[in-house]
Amino acid sequence: MIQFQQVSKSYPGGFDAIKNLSFEVPDGELVFLAGHSGAGKSTLLKLMAGIEKPSSGAVLLNGQNLARMSRASLPFVRRHIGLIFQDHKILYDRNVFDNVRLPLDIIGFDHMEGRRRVLAALDKVGLAGKEKLNPVSLSGGEQQRLCIARAVVHRPSILLADEPTANLDSDYAHDILELFKSFHQVGVTILISAHDESLMMDYGRRILRLKHGQFCA
Amino acid sequence: MKNWFRLHLLALTRTIGSLFRHPLGSLLNLLVIGITTALPLALWTLIMSVSQISDQVSVEPELSVFLRHSATAEDVKGLQATLKADARWLKVEFIPKANALAALQANLGASDLTAGLAENPLPDAFVLQAKENDPAGLEALKKELSSIVIIEEVQLDSDWAERLARITDLGRAIFEVLASLLALALVLITGNAIRMQILTRRDEIEVAKLIGATDSFIRRPFMHAALVQGLLGGGVAVLIVWGLVAYVNPTVIELASAYGQSVSLLAPDALTIVVVCLASAVLCLIGASLAVSRYLYQFR
Repeated sequence: MIQFQQVSKSYPGGFDAIKNLSFEVPDGELVFLAGHSGAGKSTLLKLMAGIEKPSSGAVLLNGQNLARMSRASLPFVRRHIGLIFQDHKILYDRNVFDNVRLPLDIIGFDHMEGRRRVLAALDKVGLAGKEKLNPVSLSGGEQQRLCIARAVVHRPSILLADEPTANLDSDYAHDILELFKSFHQVGVTILISAHDESLMMDYGRRILRLKHGQFCA
Repeated sequence: MKNWFRLHLLALTRTIGSLFRHPLGSLLNLLVIGITTALPLALWTLIMSVSQISDQVSVEPELSVFLRHSATAEDVKGLQATLKADARWLKVEFIPKANALAALQANLGASDLTAGLAENPLPDAFVLQAKENDPAGLEALKKELSSIVIIEEVQLDSDWAERLARITDLGRAIFEVLASLLALALVLITGNAIRMQILTRRDEIEVAKLIGATDSFIRRPFMHAALVQGLLGGGVAVLIVWGLVAYVNPTVIELASAYGQSVSLLAPDALTIVVVCLASAVLCLIGASLAVSRYLYQFR
Protein backbone atom coordinates (compact mmCIF):
# COMPACT_ATOMS: atom_id res chain seq x y z
CA MET A 1 0.00 0.00 0.00
CA ILE A 2 1.33 3.40 -1.03
CA GLN A 3 -0.13 6.44 0.76
CA PHE A 4 0.45 10.13 0.09
CA GLN A 5 -0.75 12.40 2.91
CA GLN A 6 -0.89 16.09 1.96
CA VAL A 7 2.45 15.83 0.24
CA SER A 8 4.12 18.94 -1.17
CA LYS A 9 7.50 19.18 -2.79
CA SER A 10 9.21 22.41 -3.66
CA TYR A 11 12.69 22.71 -5.08
CA PRO A 12 15.21 25.38 -4.15
CA GLY A 13 14.31 28.55 -6.01
CA GLY A 14 10.63 28.23 -5.07
CA PHE A 15 9.43 25.85 -7.81
CA ASP A 16 6.53 23.76 -6.44
CA ALA A 17 6.63 20.39 -8.22
CA ILE A 18 3.92 18.75 -6.10
CA LYS A 19 1.20 20.66 -4.26
CA ASN A 20 -0.64 19.10 -1.34
CA LEU A 21 -1.38 15.68 -2.87
CA SER A 22 -3.25 12.94 -1.00
CA PHE A 23 -4.05 9.54 -2.49
CA GLU A 24 -3.64 5.81 -1.97
CA VAL A 25 -2.60 2.93 -4.17
CA PRO A 26 -3.70 -0.40 -2.65
CA ASP A 27 -1.53 -3.51 -3.01
CA GLY A 28 -1.75 -5.13 -6.41
CA GLU A 29 -3.27 -2.19 -8.28
CA LEU A 30 -2.06 -0.98 -11.66
CA VAL A 31 -2.31 2.82 -11.86
CA PHE A 32 -1.43 5.18 -14.68
CA LEU A 33 -0.02 8.59 -14.05
CA ALA A 34 -0.76 11.08 -16.81
CA GLY A 35 0.27 14.65 -17.44
CA HIS A 36 2.47 16.86 -19.58
CA SER A 37 6.20 17.17 -19.09
CA GLY A 38 6.83 19.16 -15.96
CA ALA A 39 3.47 18.26 -14.42
CA GLY A 40 5.27 16.51 -11.55
CA LYS A 41 5.07 12.85 -12.62
CA SER A 42 8.76 12.11 -12.12
CA THR A 43 8.83 13.95 -8.81
CA LEU A 44 5.87 11.92 -7.59
CA LEU A 45 7.59 8.63 -8.48
CA LYS A 46 10.83 9.82 -6.87
CA LEU A 47 8.95 10.64 -3.67
CA MET A 48 7.49 7.11 -3.69
CA ALA A 49 10.94 5.54 -4.01
CA GLY A 50 12.39 7.77 -1.30
CA ILE A 51 14.79 9.36 -3.80
CA GLU A 52 13.31 12.77 -2.97
CA LYS A 53 12.02 13.85 0.42
CA PRO A 54 8.70 15.72 0.66
CA SER A 55 8.86 19.36 1.77
CA SER A 56 5.75 18.71 3.83
CA GLY A 57 3.33 15.84 4.34
CA ALA A 58 4.13 12.13 4.52
CA VAL A 59 4.77 9.35 2.02
CA LEU A 60 3.92 5.95 3.53
CA LEU A 61 5.03 2.67 2.09
CA ASN A 62 3.24 -0.23 3.78
CA GLY A 63 2.58 2.11 6.70
CA GLN A 64 6.19 3.26 7.04
CA ASN A 65 6.94 6.96 6.68
CA LEU A 66 9.85 7.22 4.24
CA ALA A 67 10.90 10.68 5.47
CA ARG A 68 11.33 9.43 9.04
CA MET A 69 13.33 6.42 7.97
CA SER A 70 17.02 6.26 8.87
CA ARG A 71 19.61 6.55 6.13
CA ALA A 72 20.73 2.99 6.86
CA SER A 73 17.29 1.39 6.42
CA LEU A 74 16.26 3.18 3.22
CA PRO A 75 18.26 0.79 0.95
CA PHE A 76 16.27 -2.13 2.33
CA VAL A 77 12.99 -0.40 1.50
CA ARG A 78 14.24 0.29 -2.04
CA ARG A 79 14.80 -3.43 -2.54
CA HIS A 80 11.02 -3.92 -2.49
CA ILE A 81 10.70 -1.43 -5.34
CA GLY A 82 11.57 -1.95 -8.97
CA LEU A 83 12.52 1.31 -10.67
CA ILE A 84 12.37 2.00 -14.39
CA PHE A 85 14.02 5.33 -15.07
CA GLN A 86 13.11 7.78 -17.78
CA ASP A 87 16.80 7.99 -18.76
CA HIS A 88 17.25 4.18 -18.43
CA LYS A 89 20.43 4.51 -16.32
CA ILE A 90 21.97 1.52 -18.07
CA LEU A 91 25.66 0.88 -17.35
CA TYR A 92 27.61 0.69 -20.59
CA ASP A 93 30.79 -0.65 -18.99
CA ARG A 94 29.26 -4.15 -18.67
CA ASN A 95 27.16 -6.52 -20.73
CA VAL A 96 23.40 -7.01 -20.61
CA PHE A 97 23.67 -9.91 -18.17
CA ASP A 98 25.71 -7.94 -15.63
CA ASN A 99 23.37 -4.97 -15.90
CA VAL A 100 20.41 -7.12 -14.94
CA ARG A 101 22.47 -8.90 -12.31
CA LEU A 102 23.28 -5.70 -10.37
CA PRO A 103 20.20 -5.72 -8.06
CA LEU A 104 20.93 -9.35 -7.15
CA ASP A 105 24.57 -8.53 -6.36
CA ILE A 106 23.35 -5.74 -4.11
CA ILE A 107 21.00 -8.08 -2.26
CA GLY A 108 23.76 -10.69 -2.13
CA PHE A 109 22.01 -13.39 -4.10
CA ASP A 110 23.34 -16.92 -4.47
CA HIS A 111 25.42 -17.18 -7.64
CA MET A 112 23.66 -19.99 -9.51
CA GLU A 113 20.16 -18.99 -8.43
CA GLY A 114 21.00 -15.43 -9.47
CA ARG A 115 22.05 -16.60 -12.88
CA ARG A 116 18.74 -18.43 -13.36
CA ARG A 117 16.83 -15.32 -12.26
CA VAL A 118 18.71 -13.05 -14.66
CA LEU A 119 18.15 -15.37 -17.63
CA ALA A 120 14.47 -15.75 -16.70
CA ALA A 121 14.02 -11.96 -16.49
CA LEU A 122 15.73 -11.46 -19.86
CA ASP A 123 13.54 -14.18 -21.36
CA LYS A 124 10.43 -12.52 -19.94
CA VAL A 125 11.20 -9.16 -21.57
CA GLY A 126 12.21 -10.79 -24.86
CA LEU A 127 15.96 -10.34 -24.65
CA ALA A 128 16.82 -14.04 -24.40
CA GLY A 129 20.15 -14.78 -26.10
CA LYS A 130 21.35 -11.17 -25.89
CA GLU A 131 22.85 -11.42 -22.41
CA LYS A 132 26.46 -11.20 -23.60
CA LEU A 133 25.92 -8.09 -25.73
CA ASN A 134 26.97 -4.63 -24.67
CA PRO A 135 23.87 -2.46 -24.11
CA VAL A 136 25.19 0.05 -26.68
CA SER A 137 24.34 -2.44 -29.43
CA LEU A 138 20.69 -2.65 -28.33
CA SER A 139 17.93 -0.59 -29.94
CA GLY A 140 16.00 2.00 -27.90
CA GLY A 141 13.13 -0.41 -27.32
CA GLU A 142 15.52 -3.18 -26.31
CA GLN A 143 17.28 -0.85 -23.87
CA GLN A 144 13.88 -0.12 -22.35
CA ARG A 145 13.30 -3.86 -21.97
CA LEU A 146 16.70 -4.27 -20.39
CA CYS A 147 15.71 -1.61 -17.90
CA ILE A 148 12.51 -3.50 -17.11
CA ALA A 149 14.38 -6.78 -16.70
CA ARG A 150 16.70 -5.11 -14.20
CA ALA A 151 13.72 -3.65 -12.32
CA VAL A 152 11.93 -7.00 -11.93
CA VAL A 153 14.82 -9.46 -11.53
CA HIS A 154 14.70 -9.31 -7.73
CA ARG A 155 10.88 -9.68 -7.79
CA PRO A 156 9.87 -6.44 -6.10
CA SER A 157 6.32 -5.95 -4.79
CA ILE A 158 6.13 -2.44 -6.26
CA LEU A 159 7.11 -1.37 -9.77
CA LEU A 160 7.52 2.31 -10.61
CA ALA A 161 7.98 3.10 -14.29
CA ASP A 162 8.77 6.65 -15.37
CA GLU A 163 7.76 7.18 -19.02
CA PRO A 164 8.56 3.61 -20.11
CA THR A 165 6.85 4.14 -23.48
CA ALA A 166 8.43 7.47 -24.34
CA ASN A 167 10.23 7.50 -27.71
CA LEU A 168 8.67 4.17 -28.74
CA ASP A 169 6.27 3.67 -31.60
CA SER A 170 2.74 2.69 -30.56
CA ASP A 171 3.07 -1.04 -31.36
CA TYR A 172 6.23 -1.29 -29.31
CA ALA A 173 4.62 0.80 -26.55
CA HIS A 174 1.69 -1.63 -26.40
CA ASP A 175 4.12 -4.56 -26.10
CA ILE A 176 5.76 -2.86 -23.13
CA LEU A 177 2.42 -2.15 -21.47
CA GLU A 178 1.35 -5.79 -22.00
CA LEU A 179 4.54 -6.75 -20.22
CA PHE A 180 3.57 -4.59 -17.23
CA LYS A 181 0.10 -6.12 -17.33
CA SER A 182 1.62 -9.57 -16.95
CA PHE A 183 3.55 -8.42 -13.87
CA HIS A 184 0.33 -6.95 -12.51
CA GLN A 185 -1.36 -10.32 -12.96
CA VAL A 186 1.07 -11.92 -10.52
CA GLY A 187 0.22 -9.32 -7.86
CA VAL A 188 2.78 -6.55 -8.31
CA THR A 189 1.66 -3.01 -7.50
CA ILE A 190 2.50 -0.90 -10.55
CA LEU A 191 2.61 2.83 -11.31
CA ILE A 192 3.29 3.83 -14.88
CA SER A 193 3.71 7.44 -15.92
CA ALA A 194 3.24 8.67 -19.48
CA HIS A 195 2.46 11.91 -21.21
CA ASP A 196 0.47 10.12 -23.93
CA GLU A 197 -2.94 9.33 -22.42
CA SER A 198 -4.32 7.53 -25.46
CA LEU A 199 -2.23 4.46 -24.69
CA MET A 200 -3.72 4.16 -21.20
CA MET A 201 -7.34 4.37 -22.30
CA ASP A 202 -7.35 0.81 -23.70
CA TYR A 203 -6.57 -0.71 -20.31
CA GLY A 204 -9.50 0.64 -18.29
CA ARG A 205 -7.37 1.32 -15.23
CA ARG A 206 -7.37 4.20 -12.79
CA ILE A 207 -5.60 7.21 -14.25
CA LEU A 208 -4.16 9.91 -11.99
CA ARG A 209 -3.95 13.12 -14.01
CA LEU A 210 -1.38 15.63 -12.88
CA LYS A 211 -1.25 19.30 -13.86
CA HIS A 212 1.13 21.77 -12.25
CA GLY A 213 1.66 19.42 -9.32
CA GLN A 214 -2.04 18.88 -8.60
CA PHE A 215 -4.65 16.35 -9.66
CA CYS A 216 -7.12 17.42 -12.28
CA ALA A 217 -10.17 15.71 -13.71
CA MET B 1 28.47 -15.30 6.75
CA LYS B 2 29.15 -17.45 3.69
CA ASN B 3 27.48 -14.83 1.54
CA TRP B 4 29.48 -12.03 3.15
CA PHE B 5 32.65 -13.92 2.38
CA ARG B 6 31.52 -14.56 -1.20
CA LEU B 7 30.76 -10.87 -1.74
CA HIS B 8 34.22 -9.91 -0.50
CA LEU B 9 35.86 -12.51 -2.67
CA LEU B 10 33.87 -11.28 -5.66
CA ALA B 11 34.87 -7.67 -5.00
CA LEU B 12 38.50 -8.68 -4.51
CA THR B 13 38.71 -10.58 -7.79
CA ARG B 14 37.10 -7.61 -9.55
CA THR B 15 39.64 -5.28 -7.94
CA ILE B 16 42.58 -7.36 -9.08
CA GLY B 17 40.95 -7.67 -12.49
CA SER B 18 40.61 -3.90 -12.78
CA LEU B 19 44.31 -3.50 -11.84
CA PHE B 20 45.16 -5.51 -14.92
CA ARG B 21 42.59 -3.74 -17.07
CA HIS B 22 44.36 -0.43 -16.47
CA PRO B 23 48.00 -1.56 -16.26
CA LEU B 24 49.60 1.87 -16.76
CA GLY B 25 47.39 3.69 -14.26
CA SER B 26 47.81 0.91 -11.72
CA LEU B 27 51.57 0.91 -12.18
CA LEU B 28 51.78 4.68 -11.69
CA ASN B 29 49.63 4.43 -8.56
CA LEU B 30 51.80 1.67 -7.15
CA LEU B 31 54.94 3.68 -7.91
CA VAL B 32 53.59 6.75 -6.11
CA ILE B 33 52.68 4.68 -3.06
CA GLY B 34 55.95 2.75 -3.30
CA ILE B 35 58.20 5.82 -3.52
CA THR B 36 56.36 7.57 -0.70
CA THR B 37 56.79 4.52 1.50
CA ALA B 38 60.37 3.88 0.34
CA LEU B 39 61.68 7.24 1.64
CA PRO B 40 61.13 6.56 5.37
CA LEU B 41 62.01 2.90 4.86
CA ALA B 42 65.36 3.89 3.33
CA LEU B 43 66.09 6.21 6.25
CA TRP B 44 65.09 3.49 8.68
CA THR B 45 67.44 1.04 6.94
CA LEU B 46 70.28 3.57 7.27
CA ILE B 47 69.56 4.14 10.97
CA MET B 48 69.40 0.42 11.70
CA SER B 49 72.71 -0.15 9.89
CA VAL B 50 74.47 2.67 11.76
CA SER B 51 73.09 1.74 15.16
CA GLN B 52 74.29 -1.77 14.50
CA ILE B 53 77.86 -0.40 14.39
CA SER B 54 77.50 1.50 17.66
CA ASP B 55 75.93 -1.57 19.29
CA GLN B 56 78.88 -3.72 18.24
CA VAL B 57 81.45 -1.25 19.48
CA SER B 58 79.99 -0.42 22.84
CA VAL B 59 79.69 -4.02 23.98
CA GLU B 60 83.01 -4.00 25.85
CA PRO B 61 84.16 -0.42 26.31
CA GLU B 62 87.77 0.03 27.31
CA LEU B 63 89.52 2.85 29.13
CA SER B 64 92.84 4.03 27.77
CA VAL B 65 94.95 5.59 30.52
CA PHE B 66 97.95 7.68 29.38
CA LEU B 67 100.65 8.45 31.95
CA ARG B 68 102.69 11.62 32.31
CA HIS B 69 106.22 11.57 30.88
CA SER B 70 107.45 12.54 34.32
CA ALA B 71 106.19 9.27 35.81
CA THR B 72 109.04 7.03 37.00
CA ALA B 73 109.24 3.26 36.63
CA GLU B 74 108.42 2.90 40.34
CA ASP B 75 105.30 5.06 39.94
CA VAL B 76 104.16 2.88 37.04
CA LYS B 77 104.79 -0.31 38.99
CA GLY B 78 102.92 1.06 41.99
CA LEU B 79 99.93 2.05 39.84
CA GLN B 80 99.91 -1.33 38.09
CA ALA B 81 99.82 -3.09 41.47
CA THR B 82 96.99 -0.86 42.73
CA LEU B 83 94.91 -1.44 39.58
CA LYS B 84 95.46 -5.18 39.63
CA ALA B 85 94.38 -5.31 43.27
CA ASP B 86 91.22 -3.38 42.47
CA ALA B 87 88.33 -5.86 42.02
CA ARG B 88 86.41 -3.47 39.77
CA TRP B 89 88.73 -4.14 36.84
CA LEU B 90 88.32 -7.20 34.71
CA LYS B 91 91.47 -6.68 32.69
CA VAL B 92 94.51 -4.51 33.29
CA GLU B 93 97.02 -4.35 30.45
CA PHE B 94 100.19 -2.28 30.55
CA ILE B 95 101.56 -0.97 27.28
CA PRO B 96 105.09 0.44 27.65
CA LYS B 97 105.92 3.40 25.42
CA ALA B 98 108.49 1.35 23.48
CA ASN B 99 105.81 -1.17 22.51
CA ALA B 100 103.44 1.61 21.52
CA LEU B 101 106.11 3.12 19.23
CA ALA B 102 106.82 -0.26 17.67
CA ALA B 103 103.13 -0.77 17.02
CA LEU B 104 102.85 2.67 15.48
CA GLN B 105 105.82 1.99 13.20
CA ALA B 106 104.35 -1.33 12.18
CA ASN B 107 101.04 0.37 11.41
CA LEU B 108 102.63 3.09 9.31
CA GLY B 109 104.81 0.54 7.57
CA ALA B 110 107.90 2.78 7.64
CA SER B 111 110.42 3.87 10.25
CA ASP B 112 111.17 7.20 8.55
CA LEU B 113 108.65 9.12 10.59
CA THR B 114 110.11 8.24 13.96
CA ALA B 115 113.73 7.81 12.94
CA GLY B 116 114.46 11.50 13.31
CA LEU B 117 112.99 11.82 16.78
CA ALA B 118 115.41 12.19 19.65
CA GLU B 119 113.23 10.36 22.08
CA ASN B 120 110.00 8.38 22.08
CA PRO B 121 107.15 10.94 22.17
CA LEU B 122 104.57 8.35 23.22
CA PRO B 123 103.57 7.90 26.85
CA ASP B 124 103.26 4.70 28.83
CA ALA B 125 99.67 3.53 28.88
CA PHE B 126 97.23 1.14 30.50
CA VAL B 127 94.25 -0.40 28.76
CA LEU B 128 91.58 -1.21 31.33
CA GLN B 129 88.33 -3.06 31.06
CA ALA B 130 85.78 -2.65 33.81
CA LYS B 131 83.51 -5.38 35.18
CA GLU B 132 80.43 -3.16 35.03
CA ASN B 133 79.73 -1.50 31.73
CA ASP B 134 77.01 1.01 32.55
CA PRO B 135 77.89 4.46 31.15
CA ALA B 136 77.49 6.30 34.50
CA GLY B 137 79.79 3.83 36.31
CA LEU B 138 82.43 4.13 33.57
CA GLU B 139 82.23 7.89 33.76
CA ALA B 140 82.82 7.72 37.55
CA LEU B 141 85.83 5.42 37.09
CA LYS B 142 87.22 7.77 34.48
CA LYS B 143 86.97 10.68 36.93
CA GLU B 144 88.57 8.70 39.69
CA LEU B 145 91.55 7.75 37.48
CA SER B 146 91.96 11.33 36.27
CA SER B 147 92.54 12.47 39.83
CA ILE B 148 95.70 10.32 40.14
CA VAL B 149 98.73 12.62 39.80
CA ILE B 150 100.81 10.56 37.36
CA ILE B 151 97.91 10.09 34.96
CA GLU B 152 97.82 12.64 32.17
CA GLU B 153 94.62 11.64 30.40
CA VAL B 154 91.92 9.01 30.49
CA GLN B 155 89.96 8.17 27.33
CA LEU B 156 86.77 6.19 27.38
CA ASP B 157 86.82 4.21 24.11
CA SER B 158 83.05 4.13 24.05
CA ASP B 159 82.97 7.91 23.73
CA TRP B 160 82.79 7.90 19.95
CA ALA B 161 80.26 5.09 20.02
CA GLU B 162 78.30 7.27 22.41
CA ARG B 163 78.45 10.13 19.88
CA LEU B 164 77.37 7.77 17.13
CA ALA B 165 74.44 6.72 19.26
CA ARG B 166 73.45 10.40 19.70
CA ILE B 167 73.63 10.82 15.92
CA THR B 168 71.42 7.79 15.37
CA ASP B 169 69.03 9.24 17.99
CA LEU B 170 68.88 12.37 15.86
CA GLY B 171 68.35 10.15 12.80
CA ARG B 172 65.48 8.44 14.59
CA ALA B 173 63.88 11.78 15.42
CA ILE B 174 64.17 12.86 11.79
CA PHE B 175 62.76 9.47 10.77
CA GLU B 176 59.75 9.94 13.05
CA VAL B 177 58.94 13.37 11.61
CA LEU B 178 59.52 12.24 8.01
CA ALA B 179 57.52 9.04 8.48
CA SER B 180 54.60 10.96 9.99
CA LEU B 181 54.57 13.48 7.16
CA LEU B 182 54.81 10.83 4.47
CA ALA B 183 52.12 8.76 6.21
CA LEU B 184 49.87 11.79 5.95
CA ALA B 185 50.93 12.21 2.32
CA LEU B 186 50.06 8.57 1.63
CA VAL B 187 46.58 9.03 3.12
CA LEU B 188 46.04 12.11 0.94
CA ILE B 189 47.46 10.48 -2.20
CA THR B 190 45.28 7.38 -1.87
CA GLY B 191 42.31 9.50 -0.91
CA ASN B 192 42.76 11.42 -4.12
CA ALA B 193 43.35 8.32 -6.25
CA ILE B 194 40.21 6.68 -4.85
CA ARG B 195 38.26 9.90 -5.38
CA MET B 196 39.22 9.72 -9.07
CA GLN B 197 38.09 6.09 -9.21
CA ILE B 198 34.81 7.08 -7.57
CA LEU B 199 34.27 9.78 -10.20
CA THR B 200 34.82 7.34 -13.05
CA ARG B 201 32.28 4.96 -11.48
CA ARG B 202 29.76 7.63 -10.62
CA ASP B 203 26.99 6.19 -12.83
CA GLU B 204 27.37 2.76 -11.34
CA ILE B 205 27.25 4.14 -7.79
CA GLU B 206 24.20 6.25 -8.58
CA VAL B 207 22.28 3.33 -10.09
CA ALA B 208 23.34 1.01 -7.27
CA LYS B 209 22.18 3.52 -4.65
CA LEU B 210 18.84 3.95 -6.42
CA ILE B 211 18.12 0.24 -6.48
CA GLY B 212 18.91 -0.35 -2.85
CA ALA B 213 22.67 -0.62 -2.33
CA THR B 214 23.85 0.06 1.21
CA ASP B 215 26.77 2.38 1.88
CA SER B 216 28.97 -0.60 2.68
CA PHE B 217 28.15 -2.14 -0.72
CA ILE B 218 29.36 1.08 -2.38
CA ARG B 219 32.37 1.28 -0.08
CA ARG B 220 33.50 -2.31 -0.47
CA PRO B 221 35.20 -2.28 -3.91
CA PHE B 222 37.12 0.92 -3.11
CA MET B 223 38.35 -0.45 0.20
CA HIS B 224 39.47 -3.59 -1.60
CA ALA B 225 41.28 -1.52 -4.20
CA ALA B 226 43.00 0.48 -1.45
CA LEU B 227 44.00 -2.69 0.39
CA VAL B 228 45.49 -4.30 -2.70
CA GLN B 229 47.26 -1.10 -3.76
CA GLY B 230 48.59 -0.52 -0.25
CA LEU B 231 50.02 -4.02 0.05
CA LEU B 232 51.54 -3.96 -3.43
CA GLY B 233 52.80 -0.39 -2.90
CA GLY B 234 54.56 -1.54 0.27
CA GLY B 235 56.11 -4.33 -1.80
CA VAL B 236 57.31 -1.77 -4.35
CA ALA B 237 58.86 0.27 -1.50
CA VAL B 238 60.75 -2.80 -0.28
CA LEU B 239 62.02 -3.46 -3.83
CA ILE B 240 63.15 0.16 -4.16
CA VAL B 241 65.08 0.01 -0.86
CA TRP B 242 66.58 -3.35 -1.78
CA GLY B 243 67.77 -1.87 -5.04
CA LEU B 244 69.12 1.16 -3.20
CA VAL B 245 71.03 -0.99 -0.69
CA ALA B 246 72.47 -3.17 -3.46
CA TYR B 247 73.48 -0.06 -5.41
CA VAL B 248 75.08 1.82 -2.50
CA ASN B 249 76.58 -1.07 -0.53
CA PRO B 250 79.84 -1.52 -2.56
CA THR B 251 80.64 2.16 -1.95
CA VAL B 252 79.81 1.88 1.75
CA ILE B 253 81.95 -1.22 2.18
CA GLU B 254 84.86 0.48 0.39
CA LEU B 255 84.51 3.62 2.51
CA ALA B 256 84.29 1.62 5.73
CA SER B 257 87.32 -0.50 4.86
CA ALA B 258 89.31 2.72 4.40
CA TYR B 259 88.61 3.32 8.09
CA GLY B 260 89.48 -0.28 8.94
CA GLN B 261 85.84 -1.21 9.61
CA SER B 262 83.67 -3.83 8.03
CA VAL B 263 80.31 -2.13 7.66
CA SER B 264 77.49 -2.60 5.20
CA LEU B 265 73.88 -1.45 4.88
CA LEU B 266 71.36 -4.05 5.95
CA ALA B 267 68.51 -4.88 3.58
CA PRO B 268 65.06 -4.79 5.24
CA ASP B 269 64.36 -8.02 7.15
CA ALA B 270 61.16 -10.06 6.99
CA LEU B 271 59.56 -8.31 9.97
CA THR B 272 60.28 -4.88 8.50
CA ILE B 273 58.80 -5.95 5.15
CA VAL B 274 55.61 -7.18 6.82
CA VAL B 275 55.31 -4.01 8.93
CA VAL B 276 55.91 -1.75 5.91
CA CYS B 277 53.31 -3.53 3.74
CA LEU B 278 50.74 -3.53 6.55
CA ALA B 279 51.39 0.13 7.42
CA SER B 280 51.07 1.15 3.78
CA ALA B 281 47.85 -0.90 3.45
CA VAL B 282 46.34 0.64 6.60
CA LEU B 283 47.20 4.18 5.46
CA CYS B 284 45.71 3.52 2.02
CA LEU B 285 42.56 2.14 3.67
CA ILE B 286 42.26 5.29 5.80
CA GLY B 287 42.64 7.48 2.69
CA ALA B 288 40.06 5.44 0.75
CA SER B 289 37.65 5.41 3.67
CA LEU B 290 37.83 9.21 3.96
CA ALA B 291 37.31 9.67 0.22
CA VAL B 292 34.31 7.31 0.03
CA SER B 293 32.70 8.70 3.19
CA ARG B 294 33.03 12.21 1.85
CA TYR B 295 31.47 11.20 -1.48
CA LEU B 296 28.61 9.29 0.15
CA TYR B 297 27.93 12.26 2.40
CA GLN B 298 27.74 14.58 -0.61
CA PHE B 299 25.63 12.10 -2.56
CA ARG B 300 22.85 12.15 0.04
